[in-house]
Amino acid sequence: MIQLHNVSLAYQKDASAINDIDLRIEKGEFVFLTGPSGAGKTTLLRLLYGALTPTRGQVLIDGQNVSRLAASQIPHLRRMIGVVFQDFKLLPSRTVFENVAITLEVIGWGRADIGKKVMHTLRQMGMESKINLTPERLSGGEQQRVALARALVNDPKILLADEPTGNLDDANKNQILNIFKEANVRGTTVVVATHDRRLIEHAHKRLVTLNKGEIVEQMEKEAHNGDQAQ
Amino acid sequence: MNRWKKKHITAIKPNKRPKLAGEGFAGRLRYFLFRALTNIRQNVFVNVVTIGTITLALLIVSLFLLVFINLENAAESWSERVQVTVYFDHDLTLQEQGSLRTRITALPGTSRIGYVSRDEALKRFKNRLRGQETLLEGVRSEVLPPSLEITLKRSSRETRDVEAYVAGLKLIPGINEVQYGEEWVRRFNTFLNFMRLIGALLGGFLVIAVLFIVSNTIKLTIYARRDELEVMSLVGATRFFIKAPFLIEGIIQGGAGALLATGLLLGLYEGFLHNAGSFLTFNPTTAGLAFLPFEYICGIIMAGIVLGFLGSLSSLKRFISV
Repeated sequence: MIQLHNVSLAYQKDASAINDIDLRIEKGEFVFLTGPSGAGKTTLLRLLYGALTPTRGQVLIDGQNVSRLAASQIPHLRRMIGVVFQDFKLLPSRTVFENVAITLEVIGWGRADIGKKVMHTLRQMGMESKINLTPERLSGGEQQRVALARALVNDPKILLADEPTGNLDDANKNQILNIFKEANVRGTTVVVATHDRRLIEHAHKRLVTLNKGEIVEQMEKEAHNGDQAQ
Repeated sequence: MNRWKKKHITAIKPNKRPKLAGEGFAGRLRYFLFRALTNIRQNVFVNVVTIGTITLALLIVSLFLLVFINLENAAESWSERVQVTVYFDHDLTLQEQGSLRTRITALPGTSRIGYVSRDEALKRFKNRLRGQETLLEGVRSEVLPPSLEITLKRSSRETRDVEAYVAGLKLIPGINEVQYGEEWVRRFNTFLNFMRLIGALLGGFLVIAVLFIVSNTIKLTIYARRDELEVMSLVGATRFFIKAPFLIEGIIQGGAGALLATGLLLGLYEGFLHNAGSFLTFNPTTAGLAFLPFEYICGIIMAGIVLGFLGSLSSLKRFISV
């Protein structure tokens, strides 16, 4: 589903944010990207949803070479990727319902179908009673669940999350992790960038560690579990 | 086997894409219009600021236009006085008049020709000296020369044109003495050109200032909503899909601003400016200042719409990156 071949990216001439990365993530996998601040986690995610173009190498998403996509093709790529951020990026002037509906409006769904699908997704997130509230009246955990609903409402093939639990307490972290897992069970490939050790240990999933723009360690699910058991 | 496979595929493939919200151009337009109106409702303050700025900017431009057009009208009526008079030493017979008229009319720039006989000249003289008739005692019409008064076309009232016209006139046999108030024509035309130059400069600066202010206001309002642009882009909206509601919003803001500006201008005109002409004895040929002609009003409204559209377009270009 996701393949990176010798990918490098330099914001400035002599300082590369990503350095010669090779990574393969299969369809339906759940992967954590971790590493210290500045390791290149966010940059790697941005390469995946086409916000950045690598200076060298190839990024393949579902068989499409992202670096070769025309600007007009990028929106179509993003329709199969849901993205979630630490700061949620919800629109303050719109209600919970409208914030989630955006994803379906963009791909041209009819109003009645949007209503049904958005309500269904918000129900899964436990947010159905707050559809008419604006984000400022929600807690951090609730806002992240709305952001997740927006990312998942069109059943994307891939879900990318950048420090999704950075602003949340433990109870909310668990809720968010469960939503990720449920999406993964339904077939969505999930990639979560985080340096939250607790979240990683709880999840028991494949772990890719980055440092200074390079992959320094990869642990498979089993090894990871074993590691934790010791 | 094949039949089973087909059935199986249709059974497991859910209908992932329900029917489109607005198929075709009209449906899309309806959606964008709905989105633009909703955005205006949800961002009332920002929209009030933008519409207010456009209104004030266009009101200033329209006021300037109103004054400028009235000055032009005044100049136009003053320029009617650019007249060429041909004097004769004897009364002209109808035949002579006819042949001269034909030759003068053939000169480019001739608008109207009027014959003033000795008697008519005396009558005018008496009219001018009304109340002081004693001065004219003993004056007979023979003293005053008959003349042909020629009014020039609007395009031939410039100093050089008048000079060229008079030169042409003098070539006609039978015409010797021609007067056209050279000094007055020169001064009048200098004043007129100076006024037009000042008007064009002021108008130019005003338009540049208005463009600058309006485009920056729109830029700020779009900057305030850059998160929306980013989110739309993240969920896979095409550039056109992101831009369209903002552009429609710009058109609505520009149109509303222009309508308000012309409404306010009409209010100001009816309230204060209507009689300003006679008050200032500014334009004695009309009762007061004239309001802007209909074409100008349409022009201002169009300018508002274009301003809103282009202001939004240029601002969006800066903030939308895929």
